[in-house]
Amino acid sequence: MSPPLAPEPQPDPARSAGTVLLTPEDWARSHDRGRVHRARGGGRRWLLFWLLAGPGILAMLGENDGPSMVSYTATGAAYGVGFFLPFILVTFAMAILCQEMCMRVGAVTHRGYGELVLQRYGPVWGWFAAGDLLFTNLVTLIAEFVVIRVGLAWFHLGSGVAAGLGVVLVAVTLSGGRYWRWERIVLGLAIFNGLFLAAAIMARPHWGQAARSLVTFSPFPGGSLNTLLLLIASTIGATVTPWMVFFQQSASADKGLTHRDIRHGRLDTVIGGALAAAFGCGALIAGATLASHPGAGIQGQAGAGFPTALAHTSGNAVAAVFALGLIESGAVAILTICASTAYSAGECAGVTHSFNNPPHKAGLFYAANITVALIAAGIILIPGAPLLSIALNANVLATVLLPVTLVFMILLASDRQLMGSRVNTVWLNAAAAAIVTFVAGCGAAYGIDSFLQAAHLIPGG
Amino acid sequence: MRRPAIHLASTPIPRQGQRPVGDPAVFLEPGQLTATTRRPVPRAQLGRRATIALWALRVLVIILSAMVIYTFFSQLGS
Repeated sequence: MSPPLAPEPQPDPARSAGTVLLTPEDWARSHDRGRVHRARGGGRRWLLFWLLAGPGILAMLGENDGPSMVSYTATGAAYGVGFFLPFILVTFAMAILCQEMCMRVGAVTHRGYGELVLQRYGPVWGWFAAGDLLFTNLVTLIAEFVVIRVGLAWFHLGSGVAAGLGVVLVAVTLSGGRYWRWERIVLGLAIFNGLFLAAAIMARPHWGQAARSLVTFSPFPGGSLNTLLLLIASTIGATVTPWMVFFQQSASADKGLTHRDIRHGRLDTVIGGALAAAFGCGALIAGATLASHPGAGIQGQAGAGFPTALAHTSGNAVAAVFALGLIESGAVAILTICASTAYSAGECAGVTHSFNNPPHKAGLFYAANITVALIAAGIILIPGAPLLSIALNANVLATVLLPVTLVFMILLASDRQLMGSRVNTVWLNAAAAAIVTFVAGCGAAYGIDSFLQAAHLIPGG
Repeated sequence: MRRPAIHLASTPIPRQGQRPVGDPAVFLEPGQLTATTRRPVPRAQLGRRATIALWALRVLVIILSAMVIYTFFSQLGS
């Protein structure tokens, strides 16, 4: 095993004096690492996995967010399971490959994506990356609040409750001053993403048709090319996004993962991807049961008609489960997206950025976390705001901005000075390059086609 | 040219006996300590082709984002 960067030539006064100056962040992380050390030493494999799991599952289930689940359901309602059921599995395979790189870089370097890009490639690229993230995160957060509102509407609750619920949830999870506590609360909420699979099972779909489509990728959807490109771009944007890259690398570092934990980090990412794919397919299959529905009820405010339509076709219980799933998906995504924004803000500003610090020690980190939630919550309270369009375009924007984020991820994971022997293999780089090309191609095709139609340079349709 | 660099990882975790009992640093790698992570990693030197390719991708992404935003507002208008 070749070591990464050589030791710093300047001596560390604290170390040379035989002592290590520990911050509260170090103490908290050391406590968590101590438990990992004892579980590993005692050969307690399940406990070790429980202690090391988190960032991968959260990134994947966090990305099964409100707009993504609405997008899957809308796709199912419009086209049935057909092409998109296996396509979702393909996109999650892509996501696993990308997220494994994030985990590995975080575990080896103990640094977040934002600070590594900024320090390694210069402030221009660092701030571009942070700017992309802030922009897409804000748009996506608005969409999350919209979807929570849609879910709550089934229970006759309004936008004020949705805004309050999201902001209170962020504030409560921030109150512990520990990464471990934050992670466990969000993991506890994220498991309810399985409600979409429950809704699909309760809706009694055609399982044989679903199984056939998994093998044949058919029937291929017909209709407008632009709509198809939109659905493909938004399905990609529903699976791999810039915030996931920032989040998993920073969370892996904040959790204290090391190069010894890479195998468990991979398992965490694969399990997260498998769960998210299963739950995403659940939303698609539940939506497909509406394929024969008249459709008037489906075309609502960012999928507001889905619970009502499901109530007509499958009963109130399915509708209630689906509505609860929408609330959960929006809530978990708010927590993870706010966290990725806060990590990025702290990393780019060069200040403390860890859940292992109390608020007075990491002011910018906590302020960024809550401020983006407040802004997004405030926007959904504006009467007449174009919430439907914002929700539908959030995933597409993420797809368009993703290639640059992924290219820097590949550069970091291939950087032998940073990664030592844990650098990307040639095959992994080839697969990652193919993913970047595919994502960029899909984003470009939709962006150009819709622009030409909107500018009346080509006929719509 | 070999640039000065900092230690990032792969340093073995010290065993319990190497530090005083109860010393929390025993469970952290040196590269994990806040004192270390606050020090920046050295700047990478991107080649001319890589720099041009990155800027080309950046410009493409900005143009595509502008197209998506334009489409978004034009859909609102209609």
